[in-house]
Amino acid sequence: MRTLVIAGLIAGLIPIQSVLLPHVAVWGVMPDLGLIVVCLAGFFGGELEGLLVGLAVGWIMGLFSAADLTVGMATKGIVGYLAGVAGRHIVYMTPVVLVLGLLAASCVSSLLTALVLTLNEQQDLWWALKTVVLPQAVFDGAVGGAFYWLAWSRLNIERFVSEYRT
Amino acid sequence: MRMVNFRTPYNAGRLALALAVVLLLGFFLLPNQLQSVFQEVGSPIGWVVSWPLRAVSGIQGGVADFWSSFVALQGAQEENLELRKELEQLKGQNSQLREAAAATARLTALLEFKGQEMFPMVAAQVIGRDTGNWYRAIILNKGESDGFRPDMGVVTPAGVVGRIVKTTAATSVVLLVTDPNNAIAGLVQRTRDEGIIEGTTSGLARLKYIPLLSTARAGDRVVTSGLVGGFPRGLSIGTITRIDKSEGALFQSAELIPEVDAGLVEEVLVIQSPNLQTESERSGTPKVKRKP
Repeated sequence: MRTLVIAGLIAGLIPIQSVLLPHVAVWGVMPDLGLIVVCLAGFFGGELEGLLVGLAVGWIMGLFSAADLTVGMATKGIVGYLAGVAGRHIVYMTPVVLVLGLLAASCVSSLLTALVLTLNEQQDLWWALKTVVLPQAVFDGAVGGAFYWLAWSRLNIERFVSEYRT
Repeated sequence: MRMVNFRTPYNAGRLALALAVVLLLGFFLLPNQLQSVFQEVGSPIGWVVSWPLRAVSGIQGGVADFWSSFVALQGAQEENLELRKELEQLKGQNSQLREAAAATARLTALLEFKGQEMFPMVAAQVIGRDTGNWYRAIILNKGESDGFRPDMGVVTPAGVVGRIVKTTAATSVVLLVTDPNNAIAGLVQRTRDEGIIEGTTSGLARLKYIPLLSTARAGDRVVTSGLVGGFPRGLSIGTITRIDKSEGALFQSAELIPEVDAGLVEEVLVIQSPNLQTESERSGTPKVKRKP
């Protein structure tokens, strides 16, 4: 059942990321919903779940991107795994902690991508930092934090989390 | 502040670590092979995911059409008058061009010059944009099942849009001409100087490797040269806005404004050039030519 829910979530993620989010892009940068989902799966589900969801999200999103499939899979898989490790050591989860975690995860993922992708000579690391890595990290943190706050204050997320983890 | 129990079973953690290490080693040691495997296996998954993608794209298109048809009509009368003036001018130009085309056809027949072969084109709709922030790419609603393959050229009646870089059973990813990682062979229409067109980080394009003695200048049009890739010769790419000549350089380069605004493209034509290699042919070992 959980696998079906995650598969459905990923299938629904692609249209939002590919069709709707380009309309809210700021300076050509949009949040990476896939990364947010992977981080949350890692935080709540542990290393294995974070890794598997990361690989799946990276793979499916890579099918609809010009980037190498394996780069997306590897970076999202690593981020999911690290989120799982972080989740084992965090005792109190607040929106601030989540935002900071997402900021760090987004920076790690984007920096890995920038280092691994064979980008053009115009696109050096400084360019990548100021035009993609940092703006996307801010976006990811803001969207993830807002989503978490909304879910926590409006929905019964504690019940959802405990059900998700059992 | 809420307290959450994030502990996971110890075995799951070890299994995840082992799996992560194996996959990472695989990605680093066999990147091309794994890329091909995941692309092949993902093709039917791409078909499945293309359905919600098309549905959302259809809804978004409907809303955009409603907006442009009924809400954003302010200034339509002024625009209509401008367009009528432009139409009159273009009619005059068209009759001159018809004369020139007829003369060219007569001369071509006289010289028995073999005309350029035109490849068949298939129309496709744009249903989305790249899911990441690293590349400027669009997603089409047709893929391998419609005969689309990587490296096929994508155009509109106005000019070149880009080239296909990835396909699934029902979708294709097109890297735009404005992406810095794209490279298309082009030439300056007036001077016939050839070069390579790349995108720039500012969303424009650049014609590189123009000979130093070239007389190319701002306002010259740049078209495809037809030498490499999936484009026939003569398709419009853009107009030169600036020539850059640095001291000591072996070549000059030119900044272009692309003819097609990829942000507004909704329908495109894919050139089905028959001589392109498939993904497996490119990644596999080169075939040995048989001796006659």
